Amino acid sequence: MLVIDKYAYSNRIVKWSPKLKGLLWLLGIILAFQPIIPIKLVLIVVVVWHTLYVTKMSGRVYLHWFYAILPFLLLSIIGIVFTMAPKANQIYYPIHLFGNYFGISKVMLPKGLRLGVQVSTAVVCTYWFALTTPFQQIILTLKAIHMPSLMIEEVMLMYRFIFIFVEACEQIYRAQKLRLGYRTFRLSMHSVGVLVKMLFEQVMIDYQQMVYALDAKLYDGEFKVGEDD
Amino acid sequence: MIELKHLDFAYEKNHPILKDISAKFGETGSNVVGVIGPNGTGKSTLFLNLVGMLKPTGGQILVDDQPINYSKKGLNQLRQKIGIVFQNSDQQIFYSIVKDDVAFALHNLNVPEDEIKRRVNTILRELDISELKDRPIQYLSGGQKKRVAIAGILVLNSEWLLLDEPTAGLDPDGKRRMVELIKHLVSRGQKIILSSHDIDFMYEVCDYFYILRDGQFVKSGKKETVFDDEKMLLETKLDQPWLVKVHQKLHLPLYSNEEELFADKALRAKLAKLE
Ligand SMILES: Nc1ncnc2c1ncn2[C@@H]1O[C@H](COP(=O)(O)OP(=O)(O)OP(=O)(O)O)[C@@H](O)[C@H]1O
Ligand SMILES: [Mg+2]
Repeated sequence: MLVIDKYAYSNRIVKWSPKLKGLLWLLGIILAFQPIIPIKLVLIVVVVWHTLYVTKMSGRVYLHWFYAILPFLLLSIIGIVFTMAPKANQIYYPIHLFGNYFGISKVMLPKGLRLGVQVSTAVVCTYWFALTTPFQQIILTLKAIHMPSLMIEEVMLMYRFIFIFVEACEQIYRAQKLRLGYRTFRLSMHSVGVLVKMLFEQVMIDYQQMVYALDAKLYDGEFKVGEDD
Repeated sequence: MIELKHLDFAYEKNHPILKDISAKFGETGSNVVGVIGPNGTGKSTLFLNLVGMLKPTGGQILVDDQPINYSKKGLNQLRQKIGIVFQNSDQQIFYSIVKDDVAFALHNLNVPEDEIKRRVNTILRELDISELKDRPIQYLSGGQKKRVAIAGILVLNSEWLLLDEPTAGLDPDGKRRMVELIKHLVSRGQKIILSSHDIDFMYEVCDYFYILRDGQFVKSGKKETVFDDEKMLLETKLDQPWLVKVHQKLHLPLYSNEEELFADKALRAKLAKLE
């Protein structure tokens, strides 16, 4: 059972056809990858507003859903924009290091930011879809467009695990915070290390349990979904 | 019949969890077998072995005199014969709407759609949860979730039903309803294996018992005999059922459940004389 499905079942547009929602999501993804930045920014604002409106979720809860992906997003942007260069004028805030200059690359910064906006747009659109469409309907939609069952299973596992991940992350964080694990910077660093380790352990355990549960119900690798009545 | 022959199991080398367990579940004509043991003695591990999800590191398990066949097909057949309901219902429930979840196993067996509907409705009615049919799981209480988890396995009509800690987290009413449910299932021929450390609950519903301590069966038997050694039970971090205590310490007859005690007219007459 997923928390995300709580929103997916009780939102204002649960009755919309999942195919329509799927189409809108696709449109969002296309807009995320087109080149004009202002369109993406407008899209982010509109989609975030609409998500909050239809799910009646508070902004804070909504932000929670980003905790899990934020580190990955930031790491990839940092990886792109920071570079070494032989000349100081190619770099913002250059630091002299081993005869080269280290810092934010003037060429790569706009590229990195563009990537950031692009990914955020795509993620915001995906969350809109995931938070308004119950799991069962998503599978039906994928079946309707004749996705191969391997792909469907892949999607379903990703879908399930992103949210298991977010939830486990929150739980561990809360437990650590309760016991003052984030009081100082040093403690915080230590706590984050423990959190990541526990997170992976927890996700492995959850995965194993899910496999047992699927086995008990004779799951053979293909989701068979009945007609909705 | 499910027979365990010198079963050993370890998750990690040199750290055995189940040690040389031998038993024959269902041999004595008993239909409700209870495995009793304190936390962490390996009850859940034993159950996972019985359905082939874990493979013994030594010894073997025979189901109807055949060793478990660990091929994909063999396990599929085994799980239609032995259904398992896990300790944690949230783990078992996969879909978000009750009827989808209960139907899941039948879809996997490629049962025709209208038959699935029929069977799901029958089971929901039997477990007295018809009104939950279209409800999202997250709005259910712990007891209701437990029933949904059980329904999702019962639809398979398996000969054996394994219930791992079925009363964990249930309030007194939920527990009472669980007792009734188990009695009902037994009356229609379902064979059940239960695990729990809730002694009074087990005493009431089971008719044959195994006591598990540090991965070994230290005692087995029927109601009348298996609980007679209070010291041993306390050492195993368990306790005597209260009806057995009343029997041993106050020398009342040994009642097999509460109703029997309160319905005992002879006892009432005697107590009335005391006043
Ligand atoms: N996946 C695993 N890997 C390693 N050790 C495990 C694993 N699962 C359980 N154990 C260990 O095996 C032992 C038995 O666990 P098990 O869950 O079978 O006990 P239990 O009798 O069901 O306890 P409870 O009453 O708490 O449910 C415990 O010591 C536990 O720490
Ligand atoms: Mg257990």
